[in-house]
Amino acid sequence: MATNNSQPSGGGPPPKPWERAGGTSSGPAPFKPPSPGSTSDVVDASGTANPGEIVPTNDANSALNRNTLGRPVPARPWEQQPTYGGAAYGSGLGGYNSGYGAGGYGSYGATGSTYNSGLYGNSMYRGGGYGGLYGGGAGSSMYGGGMYGGGMYNSSYGMGGMGGMGMGMGMGGMGMGMGGPGGPYGDDDPNNPFGAPSQPPGFWISLMRVMQGFVTFFGRVAMLIDQNAQAFHMFMSALLQLFDRSGLLYGELARFVLRILGVKRVPNKVHPPGPNGPHGPQTHIEGPKGAPPAGGWDGVWGNN
Amino acid sequence: MPAFKTPFNGYAVKFSPFYEQRLAVATSQNFGILGNGRLHVIDLSPAGPIAEIAAFDTADGVYDVSWSESHDSLLIAAVADGSVKLYDLSLPPTSNPVRSLSEHTRETHSVDYNAVRRDSFISSSWDDTIKLWTIDRPTSVRTFKEHAYCVYSAAWNPRHADVFASASGDCTARIWDVREPGSTMILPAHEFEILSCDWNKYDDAIIATSSVDKSIKVWDVRNYRIPVAVLNGHGYAVRKVKFSPHRASVIVSCSYDMTVCMWDYMVEDSLIGRYDHHSEFAVGVDMSVLVEGLLASTGWDELVYVWQHGTDPKAP
Repeated sequence: MATNNSQPSGGGPPPKPWERAGGTSSGPAPFKPPSPGSTSDVVDASGTANPGEIVPTNDANSALNRNTLGRPVPARPWEQQPTYGGAAYGSGLGGYNSGYGAGGYGSYGATGSTYNSGLYGNSMYRGGGYGGLYGGGAGSSMYGGGMYGGGMYNSSYGMGGMGGMGMGMGMGGMGMGMGGPGGPYGDDDPNNPFGAPSQPPGFWISLMRVMQGFVTFFGRVAMLIDQNAQAFHMFMSALLQLFDRSGLLYGELARFVLRILGVKRVPNKVHPPGPNGPHGPQTHIEGPKGAPPAGGWDGVWGNN
Repeated sequence: MPAFKTPFNGYAVKFSPFYEQRLAVATSQNFGILGNGRLHVIDLSPAGPIAEIAAFDTADGVYDVSWSESHDSLLIAAVADGSVKLYDLSLPPTSNPVRSLSEHTRETHSVDYNAVRRDSFISSSWDDTIKLWTIDRPTSVRTFKEHAYCVYSAAWNPRHADVFASASGDCTARIWDVREPGSTMILPAHEFEILSCDWNKYDDAIIATSSVDKSIKVWDVRNYRIPVAVLNGHGYAVRKVKFSPHRASVIVSCSYDMTVCMWDYMVEDSLIGRYDHHSEFAVGVDMSVLVEGLLASTGWDELVYVWQHGTDPKAP
């Protein structure tokens, strides 16, 4: 990488203020002393290096010893898709994001395919061999097997029962990874409209792209809401309160307007305790009000 | 100082460790939900408007940016398509990015350059992992996967070349040593998601975390049962937290309540400054290493402000 020769390049940036200040004040930190050498050497020497590892999205919560919290970890927002048949589809979606790109576009080549595993794209379109290799693997066999692998395309590649080994027969590998030899998806479909080895069906690619766009979109929106859960909650409750209050407000307004227009409310069915007590003789409910007595409006509100 | 207007919504801003007037800004179209991204490099001038030195377009939003500590022209961007891209300002735009590292399977949310050893950086992602990269290798050196939810940020210890911290949506912050197979410490720091963390620059055992629960907590990793301090004052989730490079106990933070706050966790009235110059979520904040008290912030109002602490960010 070229450097700009206008400033202390090579020598690094000016010393940090805290480096000039010297050691820490509050005693030793609980860390092992730093190792000499470059970062890659240090990591290699420690035996923990794992270059280029790709973590499948579907692997999300499955690894051991991940949740040391002792409390449930929330499901990812983009996994919450109960309307589409619960967890199976949900996790399929997760895989979708990562997997499809690899398979469909093939530009990532082998790398993509590894985590794509049984998904859909890889073996079918480009990296046939990888599909075979990983088809039986974890995760998204849901898709590979059930949906696309089986019904749609798998049959054309068929080779039922090749399981995870068949290098060349990508789709077969996927479908079979789940179903096993002679599994429900392995058999050739006589109505299969695609001849083997078919070209990538443009329609499906575009459909998948659109779907991936949707998934990404809602995933990100959900993440924002997630990060901002309180704000969203406050906003919604404020909105609901507004609706609630506006109902009351309009009720009051209507009463006021009607009163001005001279429309009288129907008096209450239960006569309020009047001057004669609640059980007094004046129980005519619908009767017109007499003119106010001599006292004018005094006493309209009750006993006095 | 006048504000700098970006075409997209701001996501992160960082001062260059080499030049006191230079900043990098990460932006994303449509609030980072859908669309492109752009990385700006801008220069402040004492009297004039802020000048743009370079801009790099990406096919997805840019969520974070970090300057290299070894080359003054090198930038690292965390892109929402899961890639980590390296840009070299000394090369023409057509040669950029000089490298695109695609290993994360979901959005990359933060990136941080190792300021001690200066040959490596870490990226954290929504795929629950943190990856360690070195400048000389085309693939990640190793992957840290222990978090059970998105890792929103990861930060190197400023005094220790092998130690870093991560903040995750699984409500924990973890301390890692690149030589250890797993995390060396787990801090159940908040009851809600943790969005950001940073180390004290003057005490390598002190860490600050900020969370959706609107608080910032300061922890001593030697005794992390109770926080050293709890800073309340933001009205919504605190998006980023950052220790001052110049004062040991000063913290700056930005929040979804659209404010940037400055704190001193050692004193009783810890909130020592509040700036409400943004008109949308404030999501990026930084303090200059080279100029004491110089702050920068960006937000979804597509503006980047640079100002001296104590002055009005909007003052021309």
